Amino acid sequence: MKLRELFTPESVKLTLQSEAKDDILKELIELLHLDEKSEAILFKTLKRRENLGSTGIGKGIAIPHCRSLVVNELRLAYGRKSEGVEFNAIDDEPVHNFFLIVAPPLEVSNQYLPVLGKVAQFAKDPDIPKKLSDLSDPSEFLALLEERAP
Amino acid sequence: MHPQLTLLMELQDLRGQLRELEDGGESETMEQEHFQLDPEQARSQLALTITDLEATLSTPIRLRYQRILPTRGRVVVPVINGVCYGCFVSIPTATAGDSDVHQDLQSCESCGRFIYVLP
Repeated sequence: MKLRELFTPESVKLTLQSEAKDDILKELIELLHLDEKSEAILFKTLKRRENLGSTGIGKGIAIPHCRSLVVNELRLAYGRKSEGVEFNAIDDEPVHNFFLIVAPPLEVSNQYLPVLGKVAQFAKDPDIPKKLSDLSDPSEFLALLEERAP
Repeated sequence: MHPQLTLLMELQDLRGQLRELEDGGESETMEQEHFQLDPEQARSQLALTITDLEATLSTPIRLRYQRILPTRGRVVVPVINGVCYGCFVSIPTATAGDSDVHQDLQSCESCGRFIYVLP
């Protein structure tokens, strides 16, 4: 499955408002449109993953990810904070681009890890951070995925 | 939502993370390669968090949890379209379709696992 097929315009936000790591995670979770309790559980699970080690992979990119009971299919969201946020990334630089990946505990199609790998590969492409910073509309993000992500 | 169900779901998610890191497979490789995670340290930290969280379960729920865990593996399972995803047996409509289903802690009558009804 292509990455483009896993995003919708509603799961993309180019103007994240939050200034702190936890709030960014909450804002990304909101893009999945879950109920309040599910959002709270997912936040704790993501936060516990972050406590093991930041998902900020450097070059302004973070990929918060986990499996959780609160979703019944693989869900992805993308958020951008042009000013950047301190996210304890491995290069200690602020993070501008956030890819959220949440999978159910069991998946028939077993897409979670391949998709995580695809997102990491996409995000590490040297051209991508600049292209992401130039986006002005969620549809452009989807088009970029269509063009550059397998 | 029943507070004990919330705890059980958090535990289930944590156990899922731990299981993936214990497999020593693709997940562990990816966490090391892309996120520079130290799997051994992560496993220890997760195990500690799980122990701490288990201690906050009420005694009767903890006893049931400890009884289910060794034999069933997953203690909480989703119910999707009226089917328990632990044993794949249909859950009675009265349970699966009840909007207040999560106010009480419910179990699958077939496999005994705690259930979480996904919309």
